[in-house]
Amino acid sequence: MAWTVLIVDDHAGFRGFARRLLEADGFIVVGEAGDGSSAVEAAARLRPALVLLDVMLPDIDGFAVARRLAENVSGPTVVLTSSREAEDFGGRLDRSPARGFIHKDDLSGAALAAFADGDG
Amino acid sequence: MSRRLVVAVGLTAFAVTATTAALVLFAHDFQPEPLGDSLGQVVVDGIWIACGLVACARWPENRTGLLIVALGLADMSNQLYWDAAVPFTLATLVSGLMIPLTAHLFLAFPTGRLTGRVERRFVLSAYAACAVLAPAVALTSNPLAEDCPDCPDNLLRVVGSSAASDAVDLVATIAVAAIFLTLAVLLVRRLRVARGPTRRALAPVLLAAAAALLFLVAATIAEAFGATAAAGVFYEGTGFAYIAIPIAFLVGLMRTRLQRSGVADLVVELGSSPRPPEVRDAIARTLGDPSLEVAFWLPEEGRYVDPAGQPVDPDADPGRAVTPLGHDGNRLAALVHDPSLLDDPQLVEAVGAAATLTLENARLQVELRAQLEEVRASRARLVEAEDAERRRIERDLHDGAQQRLLGIRLALQLARDRIGDDADVEALLAEADAEVGGALEELRALARGIHPAVLTDEGLGPALGALARRAPVPVDVAVNGERFSPAVEATAYFVACEALANAVKHAGASRVAIDVTRTNGRVAIAVADDGVGGADLGGAGLRGLRDRVEALDGRLDVSSPAGGGTRVTAAIPCA
Repeated sequence: MAWTVLIVDDHAGFRGFARRLLEADGFIVVGEAGDGSSAVEAAARLRPALVLLDVMLPDIDGFAVARRLAENVSGPTVVLTSSREAEDFGGRLDRSPARGFIHKDDLSGAALAAFADGDG
Repeated sequence: MSRRLVVAVGLTAFAVTATTAALVLFAHDFQPEPLGDSLGQVVVDGIWIACGLVACARWPENRTGLLIVALGLADMSNQLYWDAAVPFTLATLVSGLMIPLTAHLFLAFPTGRLTGRVERRFVLSAYAACAVLAPAVALTSNPLAEDCPDCPDNLLRVVGSSAASDAVDLVATIAVAAIFLTLAVLLVRRLRVARGPTRRALAPVLLAAAAALLFLVAATIAEAFGATAAAGVFYEGTGFAYIAIPIAFLVGLMRTRLQRSGVADLVVELGSSPRPPEVRDAIARTLGDPSLEVAFWLPEEGRYVDPAGQPVDPDADPGRAVTPLGHDGNRLAALVHDPSLLDDPQLVEAVGAAATLTLENARLQVELRAQLEEVRASRARLVEAEDAERRRIERDLHDGAQQRLLGIRLALQLARDRIGDDADVEALLAEADAEVGGALEELRALARGIHPAVLTDEGLGPALGALARRAPVPVDVAVNGERFSPAVEATAYFVACEALANAVKHAGASRVAIDVTRTNGRVAIAVADDGVGGADLGGAGLRGLRDRVEALDGRLDVSSPAGGGTRVTAAIPCA
């Protein structure tokens, strides 16, 4: 099946490329958000299956957004992404309710689908 | 007060006392009280006057003695009641002065000067009330018609009605009660805030006054209950306590001045060039004011500092007196002390003169310390500013160039997906992708070297963990999750980075251990390797680290015997 995705990143350029990349791999990108609070709002409104969530956001960071989204049991599967490496976040990735982490260098439809498939 | 004035006051007081005694002795045929009582009162007042004169002669610059003399004279005028009309009329006018004089004496003690605004206004009001009420009493009082049928006539009486006399009496009684009540409140307040010499001086006086008051209250109560014998004893007690009051004033004055003899000791003590805090202690001891503070003047900076080099304002507390010290017109220091020391300016001056050389010496030490403190603070500020700048650059790299390169990378990936089967273009794009990937990697390493984000977000432990994982040799890290100030964390981290880089690059180490411990308010980070040792202790890297550690009041030690591995230890205060 085709997964619905919400892309959250404060760089419009990155969002555009990510949208085209994921759409080329068969995902349906239902929306984009540029900061944490509009991400929470968009997720509630658009009800995507997946949220590709940048860690560094201008208002609340990706970890906080992931926690908010996890408050809803039927909420989306969250995959964090960053141009920093996983180890730069110390233990915070492990403590986050997000399903996984993809380094921005490694972003691809296949990488995202791996986490989405894990969902069921 | 000049010596001549003291003599004049003494002669006048003696003349008044002698005259009063003579009047009491030889012209008392109508007296309502036994002769002995009246004479006794003259003797008591004579003791007051004598004590006052002693104080005048001993401490002429202090008005306390004059006030005691005045109070004794005013009280003595009461004995003129039982005599001829002229002195009797005079007494009616003068005896009321006792009330404001009492308030003045007690509140101005021990300096002889009224210090507070409230005190000055109160004493002034008491004198004003006396100036109004004494003539009012004189114009209305008719002792012949009242309790003293044998008294001489009041020459000033112009109003005959006893109703007017009663009304004036009532007002006067209320005024006297109000004045004594206010005086009691002000004295209690004064005793509570008084320090050092003032407290020592006030204690005997208030003790004697309280004793007199207690005896008087006891006598009044005993009289009311008809216990005449007991009342008599209590009245005796009141009399003795009343005599004790001027003596207590003398004792109090002496207690503030016993220190004069200490100046010689001070000179000896200061001869051994003590350090600034000890100079303060010695001066405080000599002046008998443990609360004394020394403020050193720093002419270069135009401000006062305390012995520790911290800025102070000597005039900050209006309840304290400030005596500036200096020589040849140059300001040197200021003594901040109890105001009671001011009425012995010679003592303070003598102490100041004795301490000048030592104070000058101490001032130089304090100046140096203040400058060192300033340099130390500015070094610490520089380190903090550098850290903030590093964090900003790291974030700019992350948000700017890095994001753009990532975009390019994604675009290249999209292009490769769509290029179809043009192998040349595909190869070109793959090459471009690899280049961009390399640039990203270098940029990331650069950002991490400037200031790793994990250090800011997660602290020293996770940052050292990440450092260890990226290292080309096995690194054992022992650290707990405790957080410290950003400057301390960054400094410890950079020590680890530099030592690790040296271990790998120059010492050929095969294993490195990093230990972070916290003891006695200091963070200690130790990096030990099994390399060849012989590290270049003068190298730029280690020197920069040492500056940084020392800017935070820390210490960096390197032990690197040839062939024995290298151990770099930094201890940084973190309390």
